[in-house]
Amino acid sequence: MEKSVQEPLVSAQPAPKLNSGVVITHEDIDRAHDRERVLDARARGGMFSRLRLLWLLVGPGILVMLGENDGPSMLSYAATGSRYGVGFFIPFVVLTFFMALIVQEMTVRLASATHRGHAELIFDRFGPFWGWFSMVDLGIGNFLTLITEFIAIRAGLGFFGVPPWIAVLCALAVLFLALVTHRYWTWERITLAAALFNLVFVPVALLARPHWGSVAHAMTTWMPLPGGLTKETLLILLADIGATVTPWMLFFQQSATVDKGLTKGDVRFGRIDTTLGAALAATAAVATILATAPLFAQHMSAENFQAAEFAQALQPLIGRFGASLFALGIVEAGMVACITISTSSAYAFGEVAHRPHSLNLPLRQGKSFYLVLLLCAAAAAAIVLIPGLPLVYVVLVVNVIAVLAMPPALVFLFMLANDREIMGDLTSPRWVNVLATCVVLFLTLAGILFGVSVVAPNVFAFITGK
Amino acid sequence: MATNNNQINGSTVPPNQKFVLVALEPDQLAARKKKPIPRRPLRGYEKFALWSLRIYVIFMIAVVLYQVLSGAH
Repeated sequence: MEKSVQEPLVSAQPAPKLNSGVVITHEDIDRAHDRERVLDARARGGMFSRLRLLWLLVGPGILVMLGENDGPSMLSYAATGSRYGVGFFIPFVVLTFFMALIVQEMTVRLASATHRGHAELIFDRFGPFWGWFSMVDLGIGNFLTLITEFIAIRAGLGFFGVPPWIAVLCALAVLFLALVTHRYWTWERITLAAALFNLVFVPVALLARPHWGSVAHAMTTWMPLPGGLTKETLLILLADIGATVTPWMLFFQQSATVDKGLTKGDVRFGRIDTTLGAALAATAAVATILATAPLFAQHMSAENFQAAEFAQALQPLIGRFGASLFALGIVEAGMVACITISTSSAYAFGEVAHRPHSLNLPLRQGKSFYLVLLLCAAAAAAIVLIPGLPLVYVVLVVNVIAVLAMPPALVFLFMLANDREIMGDLTSPRWVNVLATCVVLFLTLAGILFGVSVVAPNVFAFITGK
Repeated sequence: MATNNNQINGSTVPPNQKFVLVALEPDQLAARKKKPIPRRPLRGYEKFALWSLRIYVIFMIAVVLYQVLSGAH
């Protein structure tokens, strides 16, 4: 049965009367407490109340952007800085965050209009095949990415001489502690506090004394690009794209926005939240490139990160304190990503399997949600402790899956954001669609190119002529 | 009267929980979210997009398998 295009299937009617057949759950009560504070701040008006409203409504956007600045991503930026110095990649990384912003903004509108998670919408609107495909795709990608996060945590703490098993146990303990409050708001604030530590790369960059004139020159001219466009440069380009825009981000931000309880009236703040997150994450990413740019002459490889060799290599240049901050930044990046990625898996599983899925659920009511979340993290942590595991190989497979899985996720996102039946007046406007189409095409091309580079690496050498 | 209004599907909404219905939009309630959204009728170009995706997925699986197998060797 086809509905009128003016009438969203997910209604935005006033609150129901008590006789409308609604059962109140614990999850609803917690979310209502959060919403009461938002409604109160909105009703007051004035500068202070606007700031309070912003404080109450930010969260998912900052978390998703800083969460994507995960262990492998920071090491990818570090490798970029050490291999290419200050030049083309500084504005390019900023551009990738702009693309991420365009993509993630759509999830804010989807969540606020439908109050449903991304996996759930794909399942309901496009059928079980695509629903389960998205879930399995996300689940495998997330699990492998989680392994790389624990590798980063292990490597970062290894710089301080912490044994791997203690490092991994500490990470699991932090993950568990953030959950035991079984309250979305508390979980979000704890994770936000940890995520802001990502900016530790800024003082590290300052300790490396970057040449600001070169930075300004790079931002305005997108030059220099040492060695020109080579096969290696293309792969680094694709790795940096993969470090900024990945499928779990779509699933996480939409589900977290739903869990937080944002409504159509909050979309503007959701956009500010996402923009703020993109700006903070881009700052940390650029800072990482600047921090490792002095290593340009030494041609460090991302493969060296297992032993936190970036921090060790930086020590003579920025001192023990700076190197320690770098190592702690890698630990933080892995830790926050562990929390957000495992949560995105749990949300998606709950949405597709129609099980309760909220961080507001008490442990007893959200057994499957918390079990998926903790089991994913614990299994990934255990794998990292297996002696002789080819960790570099795992990182490579993760990159391949992350970049290749992006095009299907983007196609569904684009179609859903233009689905007037569920979006109503939050359907993507034309100018957003133009930008989004460019981003979708660019990322799809990047995904295909990355796939080709894996199967036939010589094709890249043929394209670039080097 | 109030008692009748509080009766919902055999369960009762206690007076101290009425604020939930004021603070949340109807579709934000967990019970309402259990109801699936109807399947989307697809237009021609959307069917084309989904079929292209199926082909892409085969390409993607092939690339990942190749990567895994070549790495294992």
